[in-house]
Amino acid sequence: MEKDQVFMGEGLNRAAAVQAGWNSCSFEMEMETDELNCVGSCFLNPKWHNSMDQSDPFESALSSMVCSPAASNAGSTNFPASGDNTMMTDLIGKLGNICNTGDISPQSLIKPPNNNNNCNSNTSCYTSPLDSPPKLNLSMMGGNQILKHPSLVPVSADPGFAERACRFSCFNGLNAQLGVTDAEFVQLTRVSTNQSIMVTGSQVHVPDSNKNTLQDGNSCSDKRNSRLSRCSSPENGDSKDESSISEQIPGVGSSIKAQNDANARKRKSMPRGKAKETPSPAAADAKIAEENDESTAKRSKQQNDSAKAENKENPKPPEPPKDYIHVRARRGQATDSHSLAERVRREKISERMKFLQDLVPGCNKVTGKALMLDEIINYVQSLQRQVEFLSMKLATVNPRMNANTEALLSKDMFRSRGSLPHSHYPMDSSALAFGLRYQPQQGLPMNNGISNDTQIQFSMNPANAALHKTQGLQLPPVDGISDANPQIGSFWDDDLQSIVQMGFGQNQPQSCQSKHS
Amino acid sequence: MDSQHLNPSSLKSRFTARFLRALIKINAQKPISSSSPREIFQRYRRIKVAADKSMAYSVRSRRTWSRATLWKLRSRSRRLLASSGRRSSIKTRTTTTTTATTTSTNHRAAIVEKTSHEKENKEDHVGLAVQAEELRELVPGGESMDLCNLLDETAHYIKCLTTQVQVMKKIANLYSLE
Repeated sequence: MEKDQVFMGEGLNRAAAVQAGWNSCSFEMEMETDELNCVGSCFLNPKWHNSMDQSDPFESALSSMVCSPAASNAGSTNFPASGDNTMMTDLIGKLGNICNTGDISPQSLIKPPNNNNNCNSNTSCYTSPLDSPPKLNLSMMGGNQILKHPSLVPVSADPGFAERACRFSCFNGLNAQLGVTDAEFVQLTRVSTNQSIMVTGSQVHVPDSNKNTLQDGNSCSDKRNSRLSRCSSPENGDSKDESSISEQIPGVGSSIKAQNDANARKRKSMPRGKAKETPSPAAADAKIAEENDESTAKRSKQQNDSAKAENKENPKPPEPPKDYIHVRARRGQATDSHSLAERVRREKISERMKFLQDLVPGCNKVTGKALMLDEIINYVQSLQRQVEFLSMKLATVNPRMNANTEALLSKDMFRSRGSLPHSHYPMDSSALAFGLRYQPQQGLPMNNGISNDTQIQFSMNPANAALHKTQGLQLPPVDGISDANPQIGSFWDDDLQSIVQMGFGQNQPQSCQSKHS
Repeated sequence: MDSQHLNPSSLKSRFTARFLRALIKINAQKPISSSSPREIFQRYRRIKVAADKSMAYSVRSRRTWSRATLWKLRSRSRRLLASSGRRSSIKTRTTTTTTATTTSTNHRAAIVEKTSHEKENKEDHVGLAVQAEELRELVPGGESMDLCNLLDETAHYIKCLTTQVQVMKKIANLYSLE
């Protein structure tokens, strides 16, 4: 550790750069931040150990990354490809010093207060897209060179470097995600007693030099990248790793925030994985292993805190393309799966409530779920009573059923119906297009029926907008709009006559079809 | 004439057709002119059942409420048949009735259990248990659904009810006009 401490000062920048560079897929700023964070945390974060375990390739890549910047040290912004352990140790030492000294960069100081609150709830892992840019700025230390993503992209060719970098970096964010400073900070601040992650300006300088060296660690990072999947950003396409990464993360796009989000999520899962991975890749570097052990021991404490979240998050991040709905915790909210599921459910319910609000007349002014439900209940009750009343009325009315009556009845029925399908089947785009007109496809009544059925099925999700739009157009007055579409009635006259005369012949669609055809 | 066609397979058309058929059948059974209040009441009941059944059939079994309604109607008719079947022995009747009752009881029990379980888990945070309970009573088949699905069913149920009301109003108007 002494060596580490010695190295800390020097290696901090390098470490940051290394991380940034190593990440190939991650943004510079992310890397830097993460790097420093990781380094700081690695010493103190017990989680490191576990995370290292899982991320063997990670470690190698990272260590190689770390090494390379260390190698290229000497204040030069360009890190030679060679990463060696000594450099690594220097870097580590420096980072350790930084951590021990408790230096806290202003950014880190800024961040932790916000994040600490969230740390416990692991919200830091999830950063809303809007949050990422500011975070990045912070991590960037006021927009230093960190932004040179392209330069950082190349991963140091030194596998050992990457390995070490992995070890030392906070795997929380390092998984090529290095993006989310918040999470990093949170984790780090929690982990490190000194809260010393200093993503200071020194860190900022790292990127340039580190980037070049980081490319060496591509081989190592490749494995990591596969794990990181979502972490990498397309910007890192420079290196082969990047390309692989970008493939894995097609959706991330170049947005930092996306990366941050992914990073945040990944980061959560990474620490544990990294901790596990640490030991294995550490084999190559005994020295690093020692440090890792120390950091791992410290990390274990941290890990427990976020274990829950990680456990729940772990399965999710590595497999984005799965078929389930990905939910992200909002900033400032809990991220455990129960809360997320709860939130999803609440959103579903409110969505349906809105839909019902459109359906039930006079509900626009009502706010609040309870009142809305009361309104809905009243409306359903009134409808049911209306049905009863009408059936009673029909029972008392003397229907003189003859051909004319039936025809008239049917015609009127269908005629009035014409004005209403709009409201009842809002999902029918044709109905929308033609206003109140309804245009079944001729010769395809069955298809219409099928399509209609699907429409009727009230799939709330997709057609809500259309539905709301349609609903807004009416609830048409229940009382007859019989004259709305006389044309329809006339058109249907023949059909209805045939239907009626057939005694509501067996297959209406067929009869209609026959008429249509 | 425009080529404005009503969708022959729309919910409304299906319901209308079925309901009119049932109505005609009911009216054909007994002449209305000489109906006593009791008969009128009976007819009313039949018409109401026919309306609900027609609507449920129009929706098929796609919706929970329609399935529940159909199930209710069928079990009720079964019970009625069992109870009114003079030729059937008491044993058979009892068995049938018991079966129907048992089925309904089991069904209800299962529903209630599931409902209570679900409700415990899912509605605590919402605090709308009272209204949800009321809604469940209103919407057929709503006892065994969580709030989310219940709202879904309610929306569809409301839509079908409005259709039903409109059609019946039209028919009543036509009848009264004649």
